Amino acid sequence: MSTLYVLAEQIEASAIGVAIAESRYAYPIIEGIHLIGLSISVGLIFLTDLRLMDLFMRRVPVIDVLRHLRPYVIGGFIAVFISGGLLFWSAAARMLDSPAFVAKMIFMALAGVNALYFELVIAQRAPVQDSHPVLPSSVAYAGVASFGLWTLVVVCGRLIPYLPSWG
Amino acid sequence: MTTFEFLSWLQDSALAHAISKTDHLVGAGLQIVHVMGLVALLASLVLISLHLLGLAFKHQPITDIAREATRLVWLGLALTALSGTLMFIATPKLYFYNPAFRLKMILFFIAVLVQLALFRKTAAQTAPTPTFARASVGISLAAWFSVAMAGRMIGFI
Repeated sequence: MSTLYVLAEQIEASAIGVAIAESRYAYPIIEGIHLIGLSISVGLIFLTDLRLMDLFMRRVPVIDVLRHLRPYVIGGFIAVFISGGLLFWSAAARMLDSPAFVAKMIFMALAGVNALYFELVIAQRAPVQDSHPVLPSSVAYAGVASFGLWTLVVVCGRLIPYLPSWG
Repeated sequence: MTTFEFLSWLQDSALAHAISKTDHLVGAGLQIVHVMGLVALLASLVLISLHLLGLAFKHQPITDIAREATRLVWLGLALTALSGTLMFIATPKLYFYNPAFRLKMILFFIAVLVQLALFRKTAAQTAPTPTFARASVGISLAAWFSVAMAGRMIGFI
């Protein structure tokens, strides 16, 4: 853990890290891109989750929702990861100190595992592929898990400046 | 009563004290509702836009998806407006004299106006002309993304 912390301090003290942290406009603009990117990527995932729970766009087959929205979800995530990476670069040690940031990373990893399991296993089965009118309950459960985990990611992210760091 | 006197009165009101003096996590809670509302608003708008441009769900009638997603746009707008108003009441002087906040409010009224006058009409048509659809989507998304960007600047200016 201490080696990781030393590394984080070096990242934060690097030329780019300092440049972002000290620039008057770069930091808020990167924050803005992070917010807009997450509204597109995580936002479209939320809408997909509502479809999996049968609460939204019920007339559109699940497989079409997945296929049509995927490029925009991925595009949004590219913006989120680049901007998030730059924000981390400028405050790496402070982020490791923040319980909200660490929790956000854990929930993000769990949301990723859930998404992979859904895409590679649940969505590959016949009922989803052939757009059966009634889908197995595992589809709705995956939607509930995704909705809950991504909500926690957003909540923890917003809490980073509000929660005290570990002592 | 001058504007400054009004803002001072608002900042000292019982409601402002209830929001700002109880716990700093009340403010964090309002911020979370504000972000989740914005995510609902922007994502639904992006969904309707993709459909209008023919980039997704080409075989579904435009009005079908637009009607459902528009409900989420208004839900998101209600959540952001409500949480935003409470945040403003808690510290009105902090926001009122902030240039990023002023810019955000101007952009916000433009975005709502575009939504009511242009985007809503386009989304209600069964077959909007491609140029009209593209223009509506472009103006509307640019306006809302600018609102989000200006909003994110408030804490840094």
